[in-house]
Amino acid sequence: MNPGYLWGIFLGSLHAMVPITLASTGEVVGESAGLFNIGLEGIILLSAMTGALGAEAGGPIAGLIVGMGTGFAIGLVFGAICTYFKGVQLIAGVGINLFAAGLVTFWLIHLGVPGHHAVAEESMLVNISTPVGDFSPMILVAIVLPVLTYVLLFRTKLGLKIRAVGENPQAADVSGINIHLLRLFSTAAGASLAGLAGAYISVGWLGSVTKEISAGRGFIALATVVFSGLNPLLALLGGFIFGFFDNLAVWISTMPAVQQVIPWQFVSMAPYVVTLLVVAGVIGRARFPAAMGIPYERE
Amino acid sequence: MRYKYIGGKSDPVEGNGDIILRGKNICKGFPGVWEHLILDHIDLDIRAGEIHTLLGENGAGKTVIANCLSGFYLLSEGQLYVKGKPVTLKSPRDAIKHGIGMVHQELALVKPFTVAQNIALGLPASDLSFPIPEVEARVRELSQRYKLHIDPLDRVEDLSVGEQQRAEIIKVLYHNPEILILDEPTSLISADAEHLFEVLKSMAATGYGILFITHKIEEALEVGDRVTVLRLGKTMGTRETDKIDKTELVKLMFGEHTPVHLERKPVKSTKIVLEVKNLEALAADDEPALQDVSFSIREGEIMGFAGISGNGQNDLAEVITGLRRAAKGQVIINGKDYTNHSPGEIIRAGVAHIPEKRREMGVIEPMTVAENVVLKDIRISPFSKGFFLNISQITKHAKEIVSRFGALVSDLWKSQTRILSGGNIQRLILGRETWRMPKCLVAVYPTQGLDAKAIDHTWELFMQLREAGSSIFFVSEDLDEIMALSDRIAVMSAGRIVGMFEGSEAKREQIGLTIATGASRA
Repeated sequence: MNPGYLWGIFLGSLHAMVPITLASTGEVVGESAGLFNIGLEGIILLSAMTGALGAEAGGPIAGLIVGMGTGFAIGLVFGAICTYFKGVQLIAGVGINLFAAGLVTFWLIHLGVPGHHAVAEESMLVNISTPVGDFSPMILVAIVLPVLTYVLLFRTKLGLKIRAVGENPQAADVSGINIHLLRLFSTAAGASLAGLAGAYISVGWLGSVTKEISAGRGFIALATVVFSGLNPLLALLGGFIFGFFDNLAVWISTMPAVQQVIPWQFVSMAPYVVTLLVVAGVIGRARFPAAMGIPYERE
Repeated sequence: MRYKYIGGKSDPVEGNGDIILRGKNICKGFPGVWEHLILDHIDLDIRAGEIHTLLGENGAGKTVIANCLSGFYLLSEGQLYVKGKPVTLKSPRDAIKHGIGMVHQELALVKPFTVAQNIALGLPASDLSFPIPEVEARVRELSQRYKLHIDPLDRVEDLSVGEQQRAEIIKVLYHNPEILILDEPTSLISADAEHLFEVLKSMAATGYGILFITHKIEEALEVGDRVTVLRLGKTMGTRETDKIDKTELVKLMFGEHTPVHLERKPVKSTKIVLEVKNLEALAADDEPALQDVSFSIREGEIMGFAGISGNGQNDLAEVITGLRRAAKGQVIINGKDYTNHSPGEIIRAGVAHIPEKRREMGVIEPMTVAENVVLKDIRISPFSKGFFLNISQITKHAKEIVSRFGALVSDLWKSQTRILSGGNIQRLILGRETWRMPKCLVAVYPTQGLDAKAIDHTWELFMQLREAGSSIFFVSEDLDEIMALSDRIAVMSAGRIVGMFEGSEAKREQIGLTIATGASRA
C-alpha cells in the first residue's frame, strides 16, 4: 500500500478526532461533577448551525466563539434544570436533542436551499499548510485542551471540588462548597466544548450544515467518556480511535473495488459498531462518581 | 406535667480550666414538625483541658445540642459565649472561625479521595492552587502528635471505619480548633474505642476542650472529667465523673418516679396470637441483626420492647410483618406459620403495622390524605365495587378517621400527604391501622413526634384494643411509655432479648440498667 495513503488516513483521522475529543473532554468535566448530559448530540448540531451563521457574519473565529456560546447557554439551562430544579437529567438531555433537531430543521428551510446550508468559502477556518499536508489548527486545540483539563481536574483545588460534588455532595456541602453552583458551571463549561465541536464541524471541517451534520458524534463522545473512565487524556486517545474508524469507513467506502461488493452505507456503520464493542468491553470496569445522575438535596 | 422527679437538678459543678464555650438557656424547637421544644433551656460549658461528656438516651436532644454548638442549627432562644464574648453562629464555617470543630456521627468524607485531598477540599486556598503537599506534611505532624496513625496518602475507601473517624478528627484539627465536639463517636467503632479514648485524653492534656456525646454510661464515666445528663431536652445537671456512680447516672438518665402503670385487668386468655421462635435475621450489610429471639404474646396482651434504637427492635418488627427475611426461626400467627410470607399475606392474617419510618413506609407522600387512609382496605367492600372506587364511602371513612384522631388536614382529596407534619401523618397511620380492631398490632415508635394530648389518646386507644383482645407488639425508646402500657417488657440489645420483665412489677432503674449495659444484672 502507498505510504501516502496511510498518511492521508492519519491526517483525516485527526480531523475526525477533533469534535469527539472536544465534546468528550467537556463531558468528562460535567460527569465528574455528577451531571450526565445526553444532549451533547443536540448541542453539537445546534452549534454547527449557529457557528456557521456566526462565521459568515464575523469570520471563522467569531463562528467558533458563537458555537461555544451556544453550548454554554444550553449547558446553563440543562445545569439549572438538573441542580436547582432537581429535574431528571436523562429527560432534560433528550429535550435538548429534540429541541436542536427541530430548530435546525426549521432554520435550514429559511436559508436558501432547504435542508442544506453551505458555509461560504471565505468564512471557513483556514488550514495550516505544511510540507506534509494541510491540517486544521483546531487539531492543536483538541490535543492541548484535554491536557489542560487533566491538570485542572487532578492538579488543582477546583478540580478536587468538582470531583467531590460528583462523588459525595454531602461531604462537599459540609466543606462549605456550593454544590448547585459548581455543578451548574461544570456542566456548562463542558457543554461549551461540545458547542466548539459543533462549530468546528461546520466552520473548520465539512463546510456545510445539514440536519444530520452531527451524525451521532454526540453519542460517540458519550461512549468515549465511558471508555476514558473520566480521564481527559484517555478521552483524547478514545477520540482518535473513533476518528480513525470514522475516516477509515469513508475511505473504504469510496474505493471502487469495495463499492461493488458492499454498499457504502454499510461500511459507514463501522465507527458505531466500534463504539458498541469498546463500550461493551469497558462497562463494569470503569468507575463513575457515586452521585452521578442524582440531584442533590439537603436532608 | 407527667413526670415527677425525685432525683433532681443540682447546681452545676465547677470544673478546672478556663471556660472556652458556654451555652446559656439554649432552646431549640422545630415549629410545625415537633410540637414541643427539642432543647429546653440548656446550660452547658466546656473548659480547656477537659473532656465533658453529654449523656442521654436517643431522642434526648444530644445531637441537636451538638448541631447548635457547631453552627448547623440556629438557636431558637439563648446565647452562646466563646471565652466570655457573646457570639452567634450562622454556619459551620462561623463555628470553625471561633475555634469550634465537630466530628459528625455520620462521616463526611469523599471515599475515592486520599485523606489529604479530603482535607484540602475545605481549605480557604485559591481554586487554582494545589495545596496538597502542605496538607500532607501537616497531617503527618498532627497524626504523629496525637498518635492517630493516619497516612495522608491513604485513600479513604481503603481505611477501616475507625481510621476514617480519626481521619475526620484530623480534618477538624486542621483548622486549629480549641473545642472538639464528637457526636456518638463510638457508635461506629466498638473494637477501636480504647484507642480513640487515649487519643482524646492526650488531646485534652494539651489544652483542648472536648465535648463527647454518648448514650453509654460506661463510656461517659471512663472518658469524661465531667458529665452532663440530658433527658427529653432538659439537663439533669452536670457532675464530676469521679463523684458519681452508675446507679446515680441511670437515675438521672431515665428519671426516677413512681411508675405509671395504666389500670387493667390481668391477661386472662391463654391463647397465643403472635409467637416468635429462635428468630435470626441479617441486616442490609449482612451483619446479624437478630440472634435467637423468642417470645410469645397472648390475646389481649401488650408487650413493650425497650432499648436504644438500632438494637434489632425495628428489624424484629420487619421480620414479623414480612418486610425482612428471617434467616432462621419461625413467626407463628394464630397457630399458623407465617415465616417469610409476603407482607400482603401477613396483613390478611390480621396483623396491622405502624412502621418506624412513617414518611417512607407509612404513607405514600404524593398521594392524598383520603387515598392514604384507605390504602390498605381498598380491595374490600364498601370502599370498592368491582373495578371502581366508591368515593363517597371512602370520603366518609377518611373524614371519620381524621376527626377521631384529630389530624390537621386541609382537604381530604386535594392535600398531598407530604405537606402534613410528622405528628399528623402519625395520627393518620394510627387511625388506618387500628380502626378495624386488628388481632395483632405491630407498632414501632407509635407516639414519636406526638404532643402530650395525642400521646394520651394513643395510650387510651392501645388499652381499648387490649380490652377487645388485640395482641400488641410495640417498640419505644420512652421508658415511661413502656412502663405505662406493657403487660410484659422485653429489653433488646445487639439483636438479642437481654431481659424480660413483668410490667406490674418492673422497676425503672432495673430496666434502665439493662438497657444501658446490654445485660440483665438485676
